[in-house]
Amino acid sequence: MKQYDAIVIGGGHNGLVTAAYLARAKKSVVVLERRPRVGGAAVTEEIFPGFKFTMFSYVVSLLRPEIIRDLDLPRHGLHILPLESTVTPMENGDYLAAWGDHDETRRELYRHSPRDAEAYDEYGRLMHFMAQAVKPILGMVPPDPTSFAPGDLAGLLKLGKHFRSLGGERLHALVKLMTMSSADFLDEWFETDVLKATKSASGIIGTFLGPRSPGTAYVLLHHYMGELDGVFRAWGFAKGGTGAVSDSIAAAARSFGAEIRCNAGVSKVLVRNGHATGVALENGDEITARTVVSSLDPRRTFLQLLESDQLPPEFVQDIKRFKFRGSSGKVNLALDALPSFTCMPGIGRQHRGAFSISPSVDYVERAYDDAKYGEFSRRPYMDIVFPSMIDPGMAPPGKHVMSIFVQYAPYNLNGGWTDAKREAFGDAVVNTVESFAPGFKSLIRHRQVITPLDIERITGLSEGNIFAGELALHQLFFLRPAPGWAKFATPVRGFYQCGSGTHPGGGIMGASGRLAAMRILKDGT
Amino acid sequence: MKYDAVVIGAGANGLVTAHYLARAGKRILVVEQRPAADPAADIGWIPEVVIRDLGLSGAGLRIYEPDPWISAPLPGAGALELSRDMARSTEAIRRISPADAAKWPEFCGRMRTLAGVLERLYLASPPDIESNDARELARIAAVGLYVRRLGKQTVIDLARILPMSIAELLDDWFESDVLKGLLGALGVWHLKQGPRSGGTAFNFLHHHAGCREGVFRPARSNVTQALSNVSGVEVRRGERAAVLAKNGRATGVVLEKSGEAILAPLVVSSADPRATLQPIAFELDPEFAHAVDNIKARGVVARGTLALGSTPPYATFCIAPSLEYLERAYDDAKYGRDSAAPYVEVQRTDSRVELHVQYVAPGAHGDLLQRVAGVLNVQPNHVQLQAAEQSLYHGELTLDQILFMRPVPGWSRYRTPIEGLYLCGSGTHPGGGIPGAAGRNAAREIL
Repeated sequence: MKQYDAIVIGGGHNGLVTAAYLARAKKSVVVLERRPRVGGAAVTEEIFPGFKFTMFSYVVSLLRPEIIRDLDLPRHGLHILPLESTVTPMENGDYLAAWGDHDETRRELYRHSPRDAEAYDEYGRLMHFMAQAVKPILGMVPPDPTSFAPGDLAGLLKLGKHFRSLGGERLHALVKLMTMSSADFLDEWFETDVLKATKSASGIIGTFLGPRSPGTAYVLLHHYMGELDGVFRAWGFAKGGTGAVSDSIAAAARSFGAEIRCNAGVSKVLVRNGHATGVALENGDEITARTVVSSLDPRRTFLQLLESDQLPPEFVQDIKRFKFRGSSGKVNLALDALPSFTCMPGIGRQHRGAFSISPSVDYVERAYDDAKYGEFSRRPYMDIVFPSMIDPGMAPPGKHVMSIFVQYAPYNLNGGWTDAKREAFGDAVVNTVESFAPGFKSLIRHRQVITPLDIERITGLSEGNIFAGELALHQLFFLRPAPGWAKFATPVRGFYQCGSGTHPGGGIMGASGRLAAMRILKDGT
Repeated sequence: MKYDAVVIGAGANGLVTAHYLARAGKRILVVEQRPAADPAADIGWIPEVVIRDLGLSGAGLRIYEPDPWISAPLPGAGALELSRDMARSTEAIRRISPADAAKWPEFCGRMRTLAGVLERLYLASPPDIESNDARELARIAAVGLYVRRLGKQTVIDLARILPMSIAELLDDWFESDVLKGLLGALGVWHLKQGPRSGGTAFNFLHHHAGCREGVFRPARSNVTQALSNVSGVEVRRGERAAVLAKNGRATGVVLEKSGEAILAPLVVSSADPRATLQPIAFELDPEFAHAVDNIKARGVVARGTLALGSTPPYATFCIAPSLEYLERAYDDAKYGRDSAAPYVEVQRTDSRVELHVQYVAPGAHGDLLQRVAGVLNVQPNHVQLQAAEQSLYHGELTLDQILFMRPVPGWSRYRTPIEGLYLCGSGTHPGGGIPGAAGRNAAREIL
């Protein structure tokens, strides 16, 4: 039987990135994916005949540019199309729009508040700078502040130097971004409620927090990260949906010689004398390798693939305490025609961008209140895009697909999710859109409603958390996923983790997968 | 000039600064707008060093240490009473939850260690992380080393717990709603946040500073009275003073009623940083003035008194039956309403019975009195309430407003851009609930 250098469990984007980097370094690698296709939560599927959907995720923004470069992804089919605008319909029939053209956005803001239009540029400059300041942290292996090892001390010192090099004002801004709520942070800059609502809504995506919850401000930075490198605009679509991103990484991995097997679910990691020796598949087959890497979330990686007596008890406790609490759902619609929104009637360029249903900070906060007490939001926050407007291949000619990212839908719904509750949730979404776009409901041909429970069932992501573990301050950096084990190694020798549940985690970023591969190569397989 | 320094405000911090300066040979005038000291403000840890330095024990300082330190009603009947004695508290908890009782001593120990770290940080000026001064860097390194010596668990706890919500922290440890409610209340104490908001675990530890292991309510005392008994500074009461500044320099204060100007080369304000600085905004650079405007100091607490025929049988009575109760009380505040079912705490001292009611919104208070009376099951005419528009602490104790971020980022060393004008109140590091700490740190910076 063939002995591999490395087995990667899970063919999500991080697993594929790790495999590609290992294969590029001339290691023999096999990726084992449970589902019939690679991509994990970044998949494109033809759910209704002729209508293709990016099932779970919907936009691409954070994929690390060095990964795109190192793996030469454009050659393997990655093509990012810009998302041009964001329109927020307001309850009074007005709207707030941000366009691709900066001057036009400024004029639009001026209409709402001259003061905010002035502040907007300065805000943008600060956020650009802060994003740049945070970037090196995303690309570094987190040093362990409890360790006295020279490498950790050097890492801490480097981190300290980096922060101090920012200078007072920016360092203070960083502290504020890390600790404040997005609503409070934006209050210091702007007065227009709908502007603050739309910006702060981006700070709550994937979290179980509201815009007034401390810790949401730093996600505001994410919007300024992609843009920096001049690779593509902040938010964009991948041609062919986010599944095409996964496919391009898979193609790159194969080109370096990696093997990818679908329909190959792993049931256990094989451990002998505290050392990983391979995996057992669900069908009973065993595959051996010198290194095993899991891209699954921490709960499944440690509590499912291993036996608890193979791990130190306090580590098991830490992993059990790691929080998931999925809070987002998705509604995918096949439409006969595009809907017209009251605030900006007709069909036009606005449909090439996003519609954000976040008319006021209170609206989004109330949506959170429902979830806090175990209900889905009666009037949820939604981020709506029409992928077929940008990539016509996603729908039959003349028809359209509509992707609605919805928050909040708590995994732990009172009484649990049932088919009836799923449909009620879908109705709440559709009815809310209808209130901003009368007549919209009659355009719906097919509807797919995805709850966090569905996300868990289909992709395996625990509690349906799209970031493979909450991105809360106490679950980041050297605490992700557990103190002392944030450097991709695990208590089992030869067994590594590379998913979004490790630093830096979250979004279709690929950084965890890349850092893990670096670590594995450094350790030598 | 008759005085070397004028101190604005005769609260604990103002008086502490005044006394330290007086001890260094300076002639001091303290101006206070209230005609008499406000005993209700004397809550919190009075650092031992302040008591010793200023001889407060000899000046009649009394610290109330009620035992049990808290009572909370149990569903049905009876109450959970927690004592200063660990074994007795554990026993009381065992009656409602054996699992929680088993964890109680370890929880108390861990929290005490963490509060100890804060205490050390609080008795000195905040670390200046921008400094290139070797001594300051050495001081920061010493704090780092001190924390590391406390062990791996403490380092991890600090990093994990400080940004956490008090609800997450308590859910990690306990199952009893009553226990979590009375502990959670300290996490949101004087904060416009709910127990599920990040950073409330820090607020919890902040108010644990100075408390004995297993006691989670700040002590009450007569510290302001004791400080007034100490001789050496002149205090003028019933006068509101504003800072006089010219060409970027403080020149003294003006008394608002009489218009009298009192000139002095040094002015130290223990008043709210915003109230101190906004009237002289024209002397400030716009960035700094903007930062001052942005200090979050939202008042969410109404304080008052309860007049009952007899002395209540408890020292501190807490009505916050669960974390969800607190969270819902906060929900109302988010949308600018008084809590429909507020968190109410009754605190008895020798002379009076005080009330802490949270959350109240700014503005009119409709039937708040009835709601509080209803929650306490007393007649409304026995309740007296006064809601504060501003945070008692002159700045909320959230993670973005502590240490080198307090009162405004980069100006945490009690100085202001106005030469000769210093701040020493609870708006500065280490913040409210620690009478005298900011005052002492400020005096040390001035000297």
